Amino acid sequence: MPTVAAAVKWVDRRPEVDPLTGAVTTDARTSGMSEADRAAVEWALRLGERWSWETLVVTAGPPIAESVLRDSLAAGVDRAVRVDCRADLPSPRVAAALAPALSAVDVVVCGDWSLDRGSGSVPAFLAADLGAAQALGVVAIEPAGPAIVDAERRLDGGRRERLRVTAPAVISVEGASARLRRASLSGVRAAQRAPLTTMAGPENGDHGGGALRRGPLRPRPKVLPPPDPSLPPRDRILALTGSLVERTPPQRWALEPSQAAERIIDQLRAWGVGAQ
Amino acid sequence: MSPQTFDAVVVGAGPAGSAAALEIARAGRSVALIERGPFPGAKNMFGGVVYGRILDTLVPGWWEQAPVQRWVTRRATMVMTPTQALTIDYRTDSWSRPPYNGATVYRADFDPWLAGLAQDAGAELICSTTVTGLIREASGRVRGVRTDRPDGEITAQVVLACDGVNSFLAKEAGLYPHADPGHFTLGVKEVLALPREEIDTRFGLSGLEGADFEIMGCTGDIPGGGFLYTNLDTLSVGVVLRLTGLTKSGRRPEEVIAGMKSHPVIAPLVAGAELKEYSGHLIPEGGYDAMPQLSGDGILVAGDAAALTLAAGIWLEGVNFAIGSGAAAGATAADALAKGDTGPAALSAYRRRLEGNFVLADHRKLRRAPDFILSERVQHRYPAMVCGLVEDLYTVTNPQPKPGGLRAARRQMRKAGVTLWDLARDGWTAWRTFG
Repeated sequence: MPTVAAAVKWVDRRPEVDPLTGAVTTDARTSGMSEADRAAVEWALRLGERWSWETLVVTAGPPIAESVLRDSLAAGVDRAVRVDCRADLPSPRVAAALAPALSAVDVVVCGDWSLDRGSGSVPAFLAADLGAAQALGVVAIEPAGPAIVDAERRLDGGRRERLRVTAPAVISVEGASARLRRASLSGVRAAQRAPLTTMAGPENGDHGGGALRRGPLRPRPKVLPPPDPSLPPRDRILALTGSLVERTPPQRWALEPSQAAERIIDQLRAWGVGAQ
Repeated sequence: MSPQTFDAVVVGAGPAGSAAALEIARAGRSVALIERGPFPGAKNMFGGVVYGRILDTLVPGWWEQAPVQRWVTRRATMVMTPTQALTIDYRTDSWSRPPYNGATVYRADFDPWLAGLAQDAGAELICSTTVTGLIREASGRVRGVRTDRPDGEITAQVVLACDGVNSFLAKEAGLYPHADPGHFTLGVKEVLALPREEIDTRFGLSGLEGADFEIMGCTGDIPGGGFLYTNLDTLSVGVVLRLTGLTKSGRRPEEVIAGMKSHPVIAPLVAGAELKEYSGHLIPEGGYDAMPQLSGDGILVAGDAAALTLAAGIWLEGVNFAIGSGAAAGATAADALAKGDTGPAALSAYRRRLEGNFVLADHRKLRRAPDFILSERVQHRYPAMVCGLVEDLYTVTNPQPKPGGLRAARRQMRKAGVTLWDLARDGWTAWRTFG
């Protein structure tokens, strides 16, 4: 039977962050699924009901992360898999850990980004690992046919775009796109006893590179040369603030996507961002 | 869909509910423990001290496994006016070793531990589920509860309402008389973070030793009291305010806490602490005469839901009464289930069980305490009189001769507006209440 899956993350929804040291304190009791992941489970359930497909929920994390699987089972998901790994793997490693559990899945729905400084990149990495189409940051999904959905995304200026996505596909959804249904009492009871499948993930010691140093996010300050001390005070302030300096006006280009990407990269290089 | 069926359903996984579920599960009966919060103890609201003697029989050796912050080895009762304070301060080493006397705990740690014991014994804990009402037969007999979940009916032969103060289930079952606001107080508490070493230094503690201060005269014109407890790296500071007095005063409860924290005696203890949490909760302090009917046809009431909070001056206890009443309710339910009779006559054994132990014995003995403690003289005049008297005795008046205790007492009585008749009358009441 074809399968639609939700890939969710166990994360502290109310972590405590020390403003001075950046140390993050988490608590298992306030951990669970983000709103985006809850929306992903709801979309998976809706698609499963619409197409009469099996529904699956997958997470990558330690045993305590099973609470999000049981929450999903209570809401009506058929099957649950936990990929055993540590909770702080970087995004490419998370996607790589999830991929074997989702290799036979036709449509994967994820939350658009996790709460613990997520960048929204896991769904993209996952789509690459699975060789699937991707539609990221989606606000609505409408089944357009068997294994085909129309996904709606936000664009700048309040505009939207509609993407027709055919399975196999990975779709990430915003938290406000759907509200996870209230689990029935019988569902909650059954989920507490339901068997879960556990798959071996990356070795715990294999962190996959990642953090070299832990601390609060502090972007480097932009160093400005001191203004000419011979200038009058007003001019020195203008020189420091950049006021009244003529700037390059915004430019608008109408290009094909590949050309647009090249153009953006060229401009970033011109500004000194990223590798030269 | 057919309702879920258990032998018993316990509503509320606080100390009372978990103790009840533990007893029923240990008796081999199926029991559902329904909790509104995402986990037991999600709302960390109570004073902060648990007195553990009741746990000795329920969980032998409990001190080796219970999640405790500090063991209370220092207890102080403080009487204060806005500028004065008189403290009776007691500490003992015997409370710092098993079987201990009291401990400060966080509800978010303690409640899951107790509920976990019930689960280990076979109870089924169902969280994030609110009970919305009772299922009753045409005869009025309670046969289960409704919850806010789809297909959320649970039928059971007996329902244990441990749903906290102002129990909607006890009211729906007709067990609660008209609730009088005068029987309730509002407890508000701040949890303030300080480094553990700083707390040890300020309160003269070491290791896991803890301090428990009960304070009178710190609530201004509102009848009530205050408390200050030490946790490992936080302080619990709060006030308990009679609801009617608070309403009449027009003050905000956080103002009252701020006033207490700025008192010259309290301020150095809390200086520089960071506010971590602020919470408020109603407390049923009406005592023995304000309790609801404790059992009905298919229903038992325990803990705060049964108004079983002891507020008697130097004793401010709730959790131990909740555990005691919950365990008694659970044992009664288990007996009734074994006999196949959960009718009102069988369940009335619950009250007899409570009367036979400290739960109702203490409440009956101290039934006059709430009104006495919250009376205007005890709240305001006596603190002023006692503090004034001690100040007179400690003030060196040279070259004037010392005033003499009796003379100083008369002067302070006049100043505080206390007559000999008042002293005699209140002394008699105090003797009858606490003697």
